[in-house]
Amino acid sequence: MKMFFRHVILTLLFLPGCYSLQAQKPVPRDTFDITRHSMQFPHQYKKWGFQVSAGLLLVKPPFDLMENNYQGPLVNIHATFGLPWKFSLEGDISSILISNQFSLGPRLSFLIRNFGIKLGWDVAFSYGQLRQFGFDNKSKVWIHYPSISLGYKLKTMAFTFKAELIGVSRVSQTTGENEVVQSRNFFNGFTGAIYVEQRLWKDHVFMVGIKDNYEKLYWPTWMLFTTFNRFYHIPELSFIWIL
Amino acid sequence: MKTKIFTLVLLALALYSCNKDTNIPIPSAGPNSIIKETLPLQAASKLLMEGVYRVTSGSDFFGDDLVVKWNRTSLSLACSNGKYVVLQVGHLDSVIFLQGYWRNGYTDGTGLASLFISRDEGGGSIVTGNGSQKIIMRGAYGIQTGLPDQALVLKYMRPFSDTVKNSKFYILAHRSGGRTSDRLPYSENSIEMINYTEKLGSTGIEVDVRLTSDGVAFIYHDPDINIRLTKKGPLAGPIENFTWAQLSTFVRLIHGEKIPTLEDALTFVVDSTLLRFVYLDMKESNNTMAKVVPIQQRILERAKQKGRELMIVIGIPSTDVLNELMTYPDYQNIPSLCELTVDDARKANSMVWGPRWTLGTQNDLVEQMHKEGRLSVCWTIDVISWIKEYVNTGHFDGMLTNYPYVLAYYHYIQ
Repeated sequence: MKMFFRHVILTLLFLPGCYSLQAQKPVPRDTFDITRHSMQFPHQYKKWGFQVSAGLLLVKPPFDLMENNYQGPLVNIHATFGLPWKFSLEGDISSILISNQFSLGPRLSFLIRNFGIKLGWDVAFSYGQLRQFGFDNKSKVWIHYPSISLGYKLKTMAFTFKAELIGVSRVSQTTGENEVVQSRNFFNGFTGAIYVEQRLWKDHVFMVGIKDNYEKLYWPTWMLFTTFNRFYHIPELSFIWIL
Repeated sequence: MKTKIFTLVLLALALYSCNKDTNIPIPSAGPNSIIKETLPLQAASKLLMEGVYRVTSGSDFFGDDLVVKWNRTSLSLACSNGKYVVLQVGHLDSVIFLQGYWRNGYTDGTGLASLFISRDEGGGSIVTGNGSQKIIMRGAYGIQTGLPDQALVLKYMRPFSDTVKNSKFYILAHRSGGRTSDRLPYSENSIEMINYTEKLGSTGIEVDVRLTSDGVAFIYHDPDINIRLTKKGPLAGPIENFTWAQLSTFVRLIHGEKIPTLEDALTFVVDSTLLRFVYLDMKESNNTMAKVVPIQQRILERAKQKGRELMIVIGIPSTDVLNELMTYPDYQNIPSLCELTVDDARKANSMVWGPRWTLGTQNDLVEQMHKEGRLSVCWTIDVISWIKEYVNTGHFDGMLTNYPYVLAYYHYIQ
């Protein structure tokens, strides 16, 4: 009983003191700025700075090609490397193992208050290989993606609209020992995407995107050897973790 | 207000739930067509028109040259770039009139086509059947629903080569003519498509075979009833769960045709077409052979009685189907097409070895098959550049494609 009262008295004595100490300790100011952790929002990247994101792209290829409602994920890794002036370099890898695309291209970004604009041009090499299930094929496609991004940021959140044109410069395929250049230099369509980058906690940012690929030749489906010379809407959802 | 909103929502839902109409109608010259006023050409006259033509006007659209070939009912023009033209032909005195439509199989492009051959530019000699083949077809083509206002002139270059004339190469149409996604005027795997397929240049077809729950063999591709292949109706789910009475009563194909039984489809092939090859793609291996083989035998006998040169082969796409076939008495005398290895083809004594085209031309294996008295047919090749490559470098006896007119062009141009 004696011990109990001692504890109560000590608590009553020290609690106001603790509270007072807490009140006097300076609260660290939240200096988080979404531009320092964003991949899509147009802004000037730190010179020689490097940033990477990884995630999944959930795509639904056209019904005409698949003849069913198949949806599948692509693994995506994206990296940005800050350059002098307002330039940066962006690289991207998307893959479903039998179908892969590597792209690299410069960006020029401007930030005016909370608004950003980014111009870019990616050159992509899409490579696919399948030697099972009755296939003995390879596919190589060179694609150009000139793009423009427009963004608006809040303190912990950024919204970006990105539009790309798609120009295919060369499609070649190998079957067994035969190789043919299937086509060259054609306008393949365009894309429009909206990305939302959101701080989750501390410096951790997650990005969700929705993209409409409006195009004829959709590189992950090369093994279908599609022949339709028609534009299709191919929806794509992005779930990206900015590392 | 609430009622209006409710009605609008219901209307929107009803519209959204309708089958997506991707049909591309065949352009028609309408009641003003001159063809009904003309007389049909004799067989000898028709043969004079066949050959390779140079496109002297309209080459930016149809390519530099094209192949002109008669089918059972009309004259077909096959181009190098995926376009084809189907023309009805007749003559008035010594002038020949050709009227019809063109279509690009890789896009949705289509339009009218109208040509004539004057007396002095080959009409006279064609009508008499003893011409010199100095033929010039003049006319025009239209874009989509427009009138034919773009000049089209075709000049006879040469007859088909001896290689082509002596060849029995099979131009096989996938799913009897093409897929739903090819937006042809008839449904895949329908009798109507079988009736149409020769206009596309086909000399044979592939159809997909399934069994109803009461054991009727019918032709249909997918395992279920779906809006890719059928109009919306009261039935849904795996198609093999239904009886033939249910399917024939309640299911209509995407363009409104009935699902055909295998027997009806094959009877139509024998009685009403000039097709030379039917490839039965077996979609299941559950006691199917016992139903399909007797039909195959009956139809082959019917063809023989009618003097028709017709090959009907049972496809072996899997080891399950192979094993089932091998349980059938006298299976080695059942005409079959083995899609597996050459050893499997030997095991089943298949008349035809049919590898995927994606494995390459495999000329050494094809030659082995030829030495053993078997044919070799690859499937399903659609890309223009690959069709060209395989026709020029491969040794196949036929190819299966969704674009028989492209295959026809590259075969007949040799």
